[in-house]
Amino acid sequence: MLTNKWCQVFKKTFGEIRVLLLSLAFSLLSPLPRRNLNYFSNAYAAAVSAVDPDAGNGELCIKVPSELWKHVDELKVLKIHINFSLDQPKGGLHFVVPSVEGSMAERGAHVFSCGYQNSTRFWFPCVDSYSELCTWKLEFTVDAAMVAVSNGDLVETVYTHDMRKKTFHYMLTIPTSASNISLAIGPFEILVDPYMHEVTHFCLPQLLPLLKHTTSYLHEVFEFYEEILTCRYPYSCFKTVFIDEAYVEVAAYASMSIFSTNLLHSAMIIDETPLTRRCLAQSLAQQFFGCFISRMSWSDEWVLKGISGYIYGLWMKKTFGVNEYRHWIKEELDKIVAYELKTGGVLLHPMFGGGKEKDNPAPHPHFSIKHPHTLSWEYYTMFQCKAHLVMRLIENRISMEFMLQVFNKLLSLASTASSQKFQSHMWSQMLVSTSGFLKSISNVSGKDIQPLIKQWVDQSGVVKFYGSFAFNRKRNVLELEIKQDYTSPGTQKYVGPLKVTVQELDGSFNHTLQIEENSLKHDIPCHSKSRRNKKKKIPLMNGEEVDMDLSAMDADSPLLWIRIDPDMAVLRKVDSEQADFMWQYQLRYERDVVAQQEAISALERFPTPASRLALTDVLEQEQCFYRVRMAACFCLAKIANSMVSTWTGPPAMKSLFTRMFCCKTCPNIVKTNNFMSFQSYFLQKTMPVAMALLRDVHNLCPKEVLTFILDLIKYNDNRKNKFSDNYYRAEMIDALANSVTPAVSVNNEVRTLDNLNPDVRLILEEITRFLNMEKLLPSYRHTITVSCLRAIRVLQKNGHVPSDPSLFKSYAEYGHFVDIRIAALEAVVDYTKVDRSYEELQWLLTMVQNDPVPYVRHKILNMLTKNPPFTKSMESPLCNEALVDQLWKLMNSGTSHDWRLRCGAVDLYFTLFGLSRPSCLPLPELGLVLNLKEKKAVLNPTIIPEAIAGNQEAAVNPSSHTQLVGFQNPFSSSQDEEEIDMDTVHDSQAFISHHLNMLERPSTPGLSKYRPANSRSALIPQHSAGCDGTPTTKPQWNMELPRKGTAGLRRWGEGGPLRVARPPRLQGSLGCGCAPDPSPVLPKGQLER
Amino acid sequence: MADAAATAGAAGSGTRSGSKQSTNPADNYHLARRRTLQVVVSSLLTEAGFESAEKASVETLTEMLQSYISEIGRSAKSYCEHTARTQPTLSDIVVTLVEMGFNVDTLPAYAKRSQRMVITAPPVTNQPVAPKALTAGQNRPHPPHIPSHFPEFPDPHTYIKTPTYREPVSDYQVLREKAASQRRDVERALTRFMAKTGETQSLFKDDVSTFPLIAARPFTIPYLTALLPSELEMQQMEETDSSEQDEQTDTENLPLHISPVPLLSREGSLPCTEVWMPPSWAS
Repeated sequence: MLTNKWCQVFKKTFGEIRVLLLSLAFSLLSPLPRRNLNYFSNAYAAAVSAVDPDAGNGELCIKVPSELWKHVDELKVLKIHINFSLDQPKGGLHFVVPSVEGSMAERGAHVFSCGYQNSTRFWFPCVDSYSELCTWKLEFTVDAAMVAVSNGDLVETVYTHDMRKKTFHYMLTIPTSASNISLAIGPFEILVDPYMHEVTHFCLPQLLPLLKHTTSYLHEVFEFYEEILTCRYPYSCFKTVFIDEAYVEVAAYASMSIFSTNLLHSAMIIDETPLTRRCLAQSLAQQFFGCFISRMSWSDEWVLKGISGYIYGLWMKKTFGVNEYRHWIKEELDKIVAYELKTGGVLLHPMFGGGKEKDNPAPHPHFSIKHPHTLSWEYYTMFQCKAHLVMRLIENRISMEFMLQVFNKLLSLASTASSQKFQSHMWSQMLVSTSGFLKSISNVSGKDIQPLIKQWVDQSGVVKFYGSFAFNRKRNVLELEIKQDYTSPGTQKYVGPLKVTVQELDGSFNHTLQIEENSLKHDIPCHSKSRRNKKKKIPLMNGEEVDMDLSAMDADSPLLWIRIDPDMAVLRKVDSEQADFMWQYQLRYERDVVAQQEAISALERFPTPASRLALTDVLEQEQCFYRVRMAACFCLAKIANSMVSTWTGPPAMKSLFTRMFCCKTCPNIVKTNNFMSFQSYFLQKTMPVAMALLRDVHNLCPKEVLTFILDLIKYNDNRKNKFSDNYYRAEMIDALANSVTPAVSVNNEVRTLDNLNPDVRLILEEITRFLNMEKLLPSYRHTITVSCLRAIRVLQKNGHVPSDPSLFKSYAEYGHFVDIRIAALEAVVDYTKVDRSYEELQWLLTMVQNDPVPYVRHKILNMLTKNPPFTKSMESPLCNEALVDQLWKLMNSGTSHDWRLRCGAVDLYFTLFGLSRPSCLPLPELGLVLNLKEKKAVLNPTIIPEAIAGNQEAAVNPSSHTQLVGFQNPFSSSQDEEEIDMDTVHDSQAFISHHLNMLERPSTPGLSKYRPANSRSALIPQHSAGCDGTPTTKPQWNMELPRKGTAGLRRWGEGGPLRVARPPRLQGSLGCGCAPDPSPVLPKGQLER
Repeated sequence: MADAAATAGAAGSGTRSGSKQSTNPADNYHLARRRTLQVVVSSLLTEAGFESAEKASVETLTEMLQSYISEIGRSAKSYCEHTARTQPTLSDIVVTLVEMGFNVDTLPAYAKRSQRMVITAPPVTNQPVAPKALTAGQNRPHPPHIPSHFPEFPDPHTYIKTPTYREPVSDYQVLREKAASQRRDVERALTRFMAKTGETQSLFKDDVSTFPLIAARPFTIPYLTALLPSELEMQQMEETDSSEQDEQTDTENLPLHISPVPLLSREGSLPCTEVWMPPSWAS
């Protein structure tokens, strides 16, 4: 989808013959057909598939003149030049131009390509499909002070005659799809990796020291991947670029990754270090699988995401340890389970066409999962998460050794293929498909994993187990009952083996149960008699033998604890019932961090002194995994609150904290900070936050705790510390915020300073001081400001401080650090919900439309969806027709430059209004509904024509490969200048009826190819009439390009960018001047000036 | 004239003392000396047979006598210093007189003349005393190895140090408390000042001064302030790098993910040996 209002295609030369081209402004739907999300999502899916490059469709179609057909038949080379310019691009390329004095380079202005999935067509015409490979030669002419970074090897840098500009020549000899092409231009500081000279890092001015530190670790990631894959990094060089206002934190392209500059950190920062390293490792994994090996079609995406996520997991295991890895897997599993249960499933391998669809009704009613570009962002992240988990399941099945062999095979085939020049049929080895991947697996391992694939890949949903047990003393048998819930949305039935681990007095035993259709109960023989008088050590799973105090357990039973599916070999949620002492034993003695965490979350339900003791013990145990200990803090707080009336001794964790972190001589003063031991650092950070959640009998935070936290802040001393304490201080503010309880309000008095609670006054004092100090001595990533803003919102929400969004709005302005902005916006979103402010909602939506930073726009929609001002089931004064109109318009035309944003708008619309007609709209006429039924499509005949017109045109024309079409959305704000008279088109009755006919066919791209040509014939003249004129307007640009263009892209090799009548061989060359700023009046993008 | 001078120089003279009205002791001293000289001049005049003299001529003669005696003293001092002494000897005076063209041989006879008048010695007037404003303690006498002709020690206040004895605060708790409150006071004062002098925001509409928040101001390049460590932190880092944290390293630095036993059996063959290194090690 070109989708580019800002893209003008001037001329295309076809040998000798010139053909007119149109600039296309593809808009989805006109706003007329009213507000039915079902309808929208169908139309949107149809529109996207109509231009889906994977299916051979597109927006820019080039007619091969009949004179040339014989050349095609003779397998001759056709060279095609497309000259175009980008005029204030809204998507595809993002310009960051700080408004300070100085030249562009001094200001740190930069530009980079960005987008979600295949979005390269936003910035140059191409066949934007991951499956269309070719080699590349890229030329970028930029200001001499700038550096252009792109894919492949930098062959040379040539100055222009006037010495004011430079041309960077890049050459990428490994066949790569256009979607993996990227570009970043800016006054970058350059660092050649001291360990690997083929790796170069780029960052914005002044950040070089941070870059040095941040990337100093990267070579180890390289070594790890190369070792496990037994394969060299496929590209001859690798570049990392750190830029501001990033679209996503990590974007991997061929031989180059674009990162957010906010990942850079100095040696003093603890918390960011593992996160940044993870991002680096992630991007590198995607270099192998995702960039070098790319996908055949969207339905094969899961393989790539799965493999890259899987090897990234192996890296995590090696780098951060097994505990961290297992914790991560559990976290990811919990996330995907929660998401699927909430929304109804994530399908990894959406299959097109055919009957499959009917067996498995689309799990996502409000968007289509057949295209990457119609997916909700959240779904896509969950999709990636599930993909790597499934890959892990495959590993469990066939062993890691085979798994790595499969990867190695894929890579070596691909690298053999990539070295073959001009034999594009070989290059298909560089594409991975689901079937190809499965075939490799069966070849390598000889195992049949079809059932596994069928269960997790071809089907959506997770498994929900309920486990309960009884011990039969007579038979010495454990009767385990495992029920499944496979009727609620997002679940599926599981049939197959299930591992159960039983810890008995005599040791730990694994049992594999066969879960079958009807069997619920399983008898598991126990190995040990219930005997406890003998003092004997109890062997654990890992061979360790420990002494336990067995007095708590049931005298008749030898069972200590039972775990269902301990290895997470099924994507499942397990609710198992055990007695509280069993959970406590599990927490204390099971060595698996996942089991410990399960025990902690289960113990929340058992507020007893014994649970308290178990949790405290874990907290104190230094050998215990720090994340478990952190979780124990929060659990302990909950338990303490539940047993508040019987609680004895000081507030939970206080004495523990004092013992661990305070001075021996004066226990109320915390030691000066020393964060050398990271586990205790994390614990020290977390404990006060959890303590602040404690409540006394009046449901207030105990005074003692508040004083304690205030003292921690007061005595915090970081002078002797090697590390920054900014995260620690931020968490202290979080702790203060946690301690806030709702204000006792007497008949809704106005909140003033005089009736401020004295405790709150103290809290506010601290917040004020911290927030003000941040202005003078800002902390890393402004963590403290972020926490302060959150805390202020908490105070507002609890009625201590007058609720007022103006402070947050000032922090949300463009120009603040992005974390601050997001925190402030989150507060405004919350305000909008609590105070039902239409004005703020409008303010937010305006920001969604106008903010310069794509990530912020996306995030606002995301936060509004997560914390909606109202939902479909709710009456709200905010829900009115104007809002519906506004959102609808946003979905339709306001977001055509950013898939992610559009899908975000769709998500929000769904949350607010649901699938069907929003309740605040007037009822439609009855006749329309009847028509709907007759047509068997969810379409309303009176509203279809305009709606689908655009899509269908797009759908029809690519297949005809003879016609150039332009689409125009008359409602889109920026599209006024080139008006294509859609009205006249619509007036044509033939046109409408034609499109109604089209709609009845499945609009799958595959089928659209075979539409009879004659059904189009009526359309063509109309289109041509409507579209004439536009492209011819500015021929002079053409002449200017050579000296104006800042970037020239040239592409050659097999499989040119054009879909031309299935040419057996097409040697295409596409030369284009890609000028980020062709027009001198534009404020943005004038990098060359 | 010369006789008079010698007499005055050797014996001094009595005079009517009546210079009480003057306040300055130094002035008193000079006045007294001059009066003595006047008495000498007058007696010499009487001796020479004058009955009366004009005041102006007596003054002139006194002036001349004073100059003459001063010259003798100065010159004698020069001779004495020339020979590396501090006290003039008789021979110094003699040489001086000779140098000044005075016939020394006539001096004993003149001194023993019969009609000479003896004037009473002037009362011993106090030497002018330097104001003692800054003196503290006694001037130290020279230690034995220093010759006495060396200048005296300067006033004690210029070199003596007087330590003030107050117990240094070593109580940890007090120290920490002090440091904390000091820092807090500084911070509060600073932020209040910034808030007072610049734009502010307030959480309460009716009160802008109790919790003044410095107004949020967008940066032109926000990531720079957010990412780069402040100068203070850099300085701190350098300090700690070189000093104490090193010794803490060995004792306290445990790996991040300690688990009693690697979970080998569970998760393939990669043991959890590698640890996430603290950032400083990596570089």
